[in-house]
Amino acid sequence: MDKPPLALDQNFSGASEDFPALLRRKGLLQVAPEPTGATGNHPFVQTESTTILAFKFAGGVLVAGDRRATAGNTVVYDRADKVLEIDRHSIMAIAGVPATAWEMARVLEHSFQYFRRSQLQEMSVDGKVRALSKLLRDNFGFVMQGVGVVVPIFATYDGSSKPEARLYFYDAMGAQFEVTDYAATGSGSPAVRGILYYENNWGDKKLQELNEEEAVAIALRALDTAAEADTSTGGVDRSGKIFPLIKIVSREGITTLPKEKIAGVFKQKVA
Amino acid sequence: MIEEPYRWVEAIANRREYIETELAAGSPIAAVGYRNGILFVTLGRARQKIFEIYDRIAMGAIGHPGDIERLRLAAIELASTEGFTRSAADVSLRRLAHYSLSPVMKSAFEQVYGAPFLARLLFAEIGSSPKEDLFLRIDYDGAIAADGLTGQPRQRFAVLSGTRQSAELMEKFLQKEHVTDAALPDAITTAFDAWSLGRMAMGENASKELPERDAIRKHRDEQLTRGGIEAAVLERDSKSAIRYRILADEELRSSLQR
Repeated sequence: MDKPPLALDQNFSGASEDFPALLRRKGLLQVAPEPTGATGNHPFVQTESTTILAFKFAGGVLVAGDRRATAGNTVVYDRADKVLEIDRHSIMAIAGVPATAWEMARVLEHSFQYFRRSQLQEMSVDGKVRALSKLLRDNFGFVMQGVGVVVPIFATYDGSSKPEARLYFYDAMGAQFEVTDYAATGSGSPAVRGILYYENNWGDKKLQELNEEEAVAIALRALDTAAEADTSTGGVDRSGKIFPLIKIVSREGITTLPKEKIAGVFKQKVA
Repeated sequence: MIEEPYRWVEAIANRREYIETELAAGSPIAAVGYRNGILFVTLGRARQKIFEIYDRIAMGAIGHPGDIERLRLAAIELASTEGFTRSAADVSLRRLAHYSLSPVMKSAFEQVYGAPFLARLLFAEIGSSPKEDLFLRIDYDGAIAADGLTGQPRQRFAVLSGTRQSAELMEKFLQKEHVTDAALPDAITTAFDAWSLGRMAMGENASKELPERDAIRKHRDEQLTRGGIEAAVLERDSKSAIRYRILADEELRSSLQR
């Protein structure tokens, strides 16, 4: 034990400390230093490495991500998991640098659990949304140095007095934007946004009225379209049988769609 | 006072007596293993006594709420930072108790000019099989009693009570009645019977013998009209990494056998 728990201090009172603060007290989490001098004018470059999307449909929120991780022109990994479960009702999907994003997801996951265990109540949806925002803000020093950009999507089910699915996307500085229908970030996102906008306005049904199979089909088509012009997006690898990762958040919790199901929809409606 | 060794021993003895008196009214807690996990049961009137510590660890406590809170938060903090820096699988109740909580409680108890912890803690950790389950009790002086750490045959239950007599009777009862492979409703009944007789065994004039089952149930039903059952389980086969689940009062009442 490097430093004794705060609670054992005789003068301890209350438990206002959140989990990132606890990690910082123990020296386990660094806030990125703000750049000084010349780097202050460093142009902000979006690391383009992936495409993630999420939209509300009849069964909750669907969150999908392709599987490719790249460094420049090199494909590093084709089975990356970019759609991460944070707790029973929350998903964080990541576009950007995986090292930072996975660490953020880890901090976030522990933050929610730590809050529930120590305060004996579930953290509110607003509190959770804000927690991710703070992590992004703490990371902004790195972003300005050109490393560690993360642009996440956060989807959750609000079980409080007015139960509903909630969907947010963020910018690299930590601003959160709540959306009513859909969100997409990452290098392939312009194409995805185009498709989702089109479907929502002129498609057979509005996105919110789609059933699960229709929703999956649109998610796959959107990712396939994104991959068509963007080398950083894996889309659906037709030879390797690697499919995008799709998870659904609903009142009952999170479901990960099995590969066979995605493959079935792909065969019928996309390929 | 403490320059003389004899005085120190005397001071410790006084302190022990004082703490025992303070804890004597604490409502018992029973933790029993059942087919799919570990169940914690108590009956509470004023405040929560069963808590989640980490994915696979739960705690029950009696004592002063301020002290319980400090120990509880310390345990959560230690488990959470360990789980974060390494992995959830590296969080171990044995280490939490032996290396962190016990030494702190011991030194607080023995430093006669400082305040001791007025608390008795009961922990359980669920393993991937019943053989890996651990029950562990830490007293206000840091003493640890564990079920599942040594080669001894396991009981797969543990109790916590305000008085030694009450705890001993509860253990005696559970040694006779506890079935490790019981279904949850049966486990709830057994654990709550144990609670009831533990409660009966408290106070100056309480009997030192095990009461009849009818008397236990009658006392239990009387108490049920006055307080709410508090219970939680650590589930072995839960899909989620988090095994702790609070049981609702209705689920508990409907499980109790007449």
